[in-house]
Amino acid sequence: MKRTPLAVLNLLHERTRLLVAIAGVAFAVLLIFMNLGFQGALLKTTVTFYDQIQADIFLTSPQSLEISTTKEFPRTRLYQAAGVAGVERVMPLYLESLLWRNPETRLSRAMFVFGVNPQDPVFAMPELQTAAARTILVQPDTVLIDRLSRADFGPQTVGLETEASRRRVIIGGQYTLGSGFAADGTLIMSDQNFVRFFTPRSFDQINLGLIQTSEGANVPAIAATLRQQLPADVQVMTRRDIIQNDLLYWLENTAIGFIFTLGVIVSFIVGTVIVYQILYTDIRDHLKEYATLKAMGYSGRYLFVVVLQEALILAVTGYIPGFIAAFGLYQLTFQATNLPIEMTLNRLILVFILTVIMCSLSGLISVRRAVTADPAEVF
Amino acid sequence: MAASPASSATETSPDNSAAPAVQIRHLNYFFGTGELRKQVLFDINLDLPRGQIVIMTGPSGSGKTTLLTLIGALRTVHAGSLQVLGQELMGLSSRKLVGVRRNIGFIFQAHNLFESLTAAQNVEMAVELQPQFHAKRTQATEILGQLGLDNRVDYKPESLSGGQKQRVAIARALVNQPPLILADEPTAALDKKSGRDVVTLMQKLAKEDNRTILMVTHDNRILDVADRIINLVDGYIESDETLDTFNTTHDPKNLDQQMFIL
Ligand SMILES: Nc1ncnc2c1ncn2[C@@H]1O[C@H](COP(=O)(O)OP(=O)(O)OP(=O)(O)O)[C@@H](O)[C@H]1O
Ligand SMILES: [Mg+2]
Repeated sequence: MKRTPLAVLNLLHERTRLLVAIAGVAFAVLLIFMNLGFQGALLKTTVTFYDQIQADIFLTSPQSLEISTTKEFPRTRLYQAAGVAGVERVMPLYLESLLWRNPETRLSRAMFVFGVNPQDPVFAMPELQTAAARTILVQPDTVLIDRLSRADFGPQTVGLETEASRRRVIIGGQYTLGSGFAADGTLIMSDQNFVRFFTPRSFDQINLGLIQTSEGANVPAIAATLRQQLPADVQVMTRRDIIQNDLLYWLENTAIGFIFTLGVIVSFIVGTVIVYQILYTDIRDHLKEYATLKAMGYSGRYLFVVVLQEALILAVTGYIPGFIAAFGLYQLTFQATNLPIEMTLNRLILVFILTVIMCSLSGLISVRRAVTADPAEVF
Repeated sequence: MAASPASSATETSPDNSAAPAVQIRHLNYFFGTGELRKQVLFDINLDLPRGQIVIMTGPSGSGKTTLLTLIGALRTVHAGSLQVLGQELMGLSSRKLVGVRRNIGFIFQAHNLFESLTAAQNVEMAVELQPQFHAKRTQATEILGQLGLDNRVDYKPESLSGGQKQRVAIARALVNQPPLILADEPTAALDKKSGRDVVTLMQKLAKEDNRTILMVTHDNRILDVADRIINLVDGYIESDETLDTFNTTHDPKNLDQQMFIL
């Protein structure tokens, strides 16, 4: 025979109060989900350009922070990597920034530059896949410009001439990439043009080594082999690794981390206060009964468990509608703003754990009152 | 997470059935500390043998409830000796006191039933204090039946009358067949008829099973169930008499009128 489920029955007895409590928890859960969702989505926009870079494994200098803050390393490392089984192709990527002058306002601002070998399929953008694009790239002082560069850089008309870091430069074409927080705008130029623009840079020192593996290869295993065989002056990262690395950098070095973490904390506190209010009122209303239980011979521990059970029931029953509402709002936000906001398993688990902690915390704060209920007072 | 009422340190203390139900020697009790310290019980000496129904009366503030809560192991004893069912309560830890309470049936002035539980569930909460409670439903319905609530077992307190609620509370106090029952004005919230019924039921159950009942009451109408009447005044036991002596010493005519004209 099971024990009388006092926690459940107490909660069910006051239907209105229970509904308010569930709504409160659901609301807090929704707020937490939205904050984490926006944070995740904004962070994601900082690394979407990696989707267009066709590499499975990346070599960087250990001193590099994120894509726009890299240190050079010897290109020979890339050729060493080419010898490893499963590596299909290696491609150097040269990175720098230059001052691009807006031909209309004559104001210059920093533009991020990708230097590539025109024969290498570094990018996946359709505009770059044509033979025409390759012929444009090999022309001297000719660059391709990102349509998503900020408007401050001026017109992007093909054939337009302007000045970049005191050299003449011609816009040869356009592509769509975007660069998140790393840069306001990007250019792609050939490696030949790159070394000319950025003297004294040479072909031998590269910023990013891109490695494509053969079809069906075990990428983590190849990465592990590379890590073993290459000297410590390069860092081997899978696509996942490098994206994680950049995400973490932006999380820690921008307001994104702070603002939304604060949002989560505030939601958490709101939820805690709501649940505390509900549990406290419940305990206050049942104080005589709890004291009677103690007079009958129930221990304080039993009452402790009852209140904690009530808290956990609220956590679970509030989490479910909160999650459903958040899921709906994610869809809406995505449709309305195109922000890449999506529900991930990690987030589901994280928010559930937060909800449980939130409710248990309220339970722990309010339970004192029940546990210290004086049985002598009920006579 | 299993909500078990018992932790290892709070086992039910065994009832030493040879000992008197209650034995009190030189019990003093104080409320407050320092300048606010106030003595409410003075040198109480009292023996309650098994099977006796004892009524305690006395003016308001004389310490009746305090004495009852001390005997019920709801307060810690400061000075003197207080043995309940053979167990000395003086110096007992509050965890051990919890164990003592499991041998005592409490009936309060207010019924203190859980509104969220049915009559049967309220009674079952008491049965669940026992190590074995697989028959809790049967035990609960049985005792509720004895108290005339056969057709009310699955009602919540909100749909029971005051008298019925108090009877559920009594069922809860009696279901574990405690050797000692403590009641503080159990009839105060009831009308004449239900008050009388409740007391008669308690008397019947006590007499059948040799239980000891200590009941505080202001209600002269129910004095006749007592084997013995104790009068507490200003913290002192002023008189301790059998019902008959009590009747003669307390102006029988006047008492007769109060008791039997109703
Ligand atoms: N928790 C407490 N703190 C301080 N003093 C108390 C406390 N409880 C009771 N007292 C005092 O102790 C004395 C005895 O109180 P007690 O409740 O035992 O009286 P009683 O005989 O039960 O009275 P009544 O018939 O009104 O219920 C009273 O003077 C009361 O004011
Ligand atoms: Mg009293």
